[in-house]
Amino acid sequence: MWMAGMTFSEKMLKIDRRIIFLMIGLCTLLPLLYPVGLPIKTSSEVRGVYDHIESLPEGSVFLLSIDFDPASKPELYPQAIALLRHAFKKNLRVITMTLWVSGTGMADQLVTQVAKEMGKENGTDYTFLGWSPGGQAVIINMGQDLYSAYPSDYRGKPTKELPILEGVRSLKDVGYMVSLGAGRPGVEEWYVFGKDKYKFEMGGGCTGVMAPGLYPLLRSGQINGLIGGLRGAAEYENLIGKKGKAVAGMDAQSATHLAIIALVIMCNLFYFSLRQQRG
Amino acid sequence: MPFEMIVGAWVATGLTLLIFSFLYKDNPLFKLAEHLYVGVSVGYVIVKTYDTVIVHLVVKPIVENGEIALLIPVAIGMLMLTRYVPKAAWMSRYAFAFIVGMGAGLAIPRTVSSFILKQVEDTIRPLLSMTGSDGVTFSMNLLNPASHLNAIIILIGVSSVLFYFFFSIEHSGVGKAVARTGILFLMISFGAGFGYTVMARMSLLIGRLTDLIEFSDTSYGRPTVWLSLLTVGALFLLARRGREQPPDIH
Repeated sequence: MWMAGMTFSEKMLKIDRRIIFLMIGLCTLLPLLYPVGLPIKTSSEVRGVYDHIESLPEGSVFLLSIDFDPASKPELYPQAIALLRHAFKKNLRVITMTLWVSGTGMADQLVTQVAKEMGKENGTDYTFLGWSPGGQAVIINMGQDLYSAYPSDYRGKPTKELPILEGVRSLKDVGYMVSLGAGRPGVEEWYVFGKDKYKFEMGGGCTGVMAPGLYPLLRSGQINGLIGGLRGAAEYENLIGKKGKAVAGMDAQSATHLAIIALVIMCNLFYFSLRQQRG
Repeated sequence: MPFEMIVGAWVATGLTLLIFSFLYKDNPLFKLAEHLYVGVSVGYVIVKTYDTVIVHLVVKPIVENGEIALLIPVAIGMLMLTRYVPKAAWMSRYAFAFIVGMGAGLAIPRTVSSFILKQVEDTIRPLLSMTGSDGVTFSMNLLNPASHLNAIIILIGVSSVLFYFFFSIEHSGVGKAVARTGILFLMISFGAGFGYTVMARMSLLIGRLTDLIEFSDTSYGRPTVWLSLLTVGALFLLARRGREQPPDIH
């Protein structure tokens, strides 16, 4: 609370936090209502995933593990939509699944929605296997025998009868795999218990919080690409030429980042000015 | 527009606004939404786990396909429940021993291989490249993660941070300079982590606001507008009631 006799710096450092919330809210809301269309540069890590999917021949097996739940939807849902659109456009055989029980319904809705939009048929062009308990044990089990890890798909149809899984016995038969992870199990588990053991190529997608922790895997070539947060999703949407919610959110993201940088600088200026005044 | 979509939009908008009301101050509306979130999440997980594990992976294969071998993991799992019976609680140790033993056996070799050996291998990269008979090359491109300059930076960073956490000798003289360098690298790492965290949190806000904008459309019945007014009104009434009631002093 402001008191009489307080200097400007003191007043600013004791500003009501709700004013800052309001500022950040406006910085987010206004660009969403009136987009500017700031340019989006594609990073090499996002291009790594795109290029690999682009290089796959038609009919290759693409496994997408949707390892997140609605709490991370704003960041990872646009990534999943962009990846599925790309894979369906390339006529790949798309196998989807989740290691997160709390994300099962959302994952089913996501896959069904994109497949319907792209005119793909369940069981023939794609399948959603659902959730199976065990986390890393499921990955190992899939590496040995996919049908033992998932005897039936999400709709209860026996996996051995699905035309899309013809010729697919285990993870060794997967052409490319992407895990979109919001935590554990996620990208790291897929690398440790999947790729490293069964030798298939994989990329990753993650929330912004997790991205710095996954860069070492990218640099060492353990994963061949990484889509980080909403920014990564926007880059992917740009690459496939179908702009969605991620691109729409980029102006707001830039505006809030600028606001936060300005607040950090101002806070430091007021802090040092106050320290100088007090000697 | 399907009816369930409209209902979903109203529920999502209402709960978002109730959660956002915490930004003003802690209040019963926020508590209501918070408890609903916890209850619905736990309920959903219990139902999905029961349906997938008990019904589809245990009962159906045993009853319909006669896969009797599944009774072994079921029995091991049931041993966990003996913890609720004090006299038989010792039996749960066998189940725990199985889980710990199997988990450690699976995780240790794979983790050592993936996170320690592979990362050490990547850290110790050649600082110069030999290019045929011409001699050595050194790439200075900071933007290329595989450049020689970045290999040197990583080497300095890893060594100085490891030294910073080496407490057996006093950090003085040259040691102090190396430890300080380690702190510098740690600060840069924390800064990058914080930057990404801010980006992630802002993305979540963008996600909710995008939905609120979408749900302000007439096709949904403008839930954003009506429920915003209702939330603000409820907050106003709660604030007024709080002022009228004397504080409870015990």
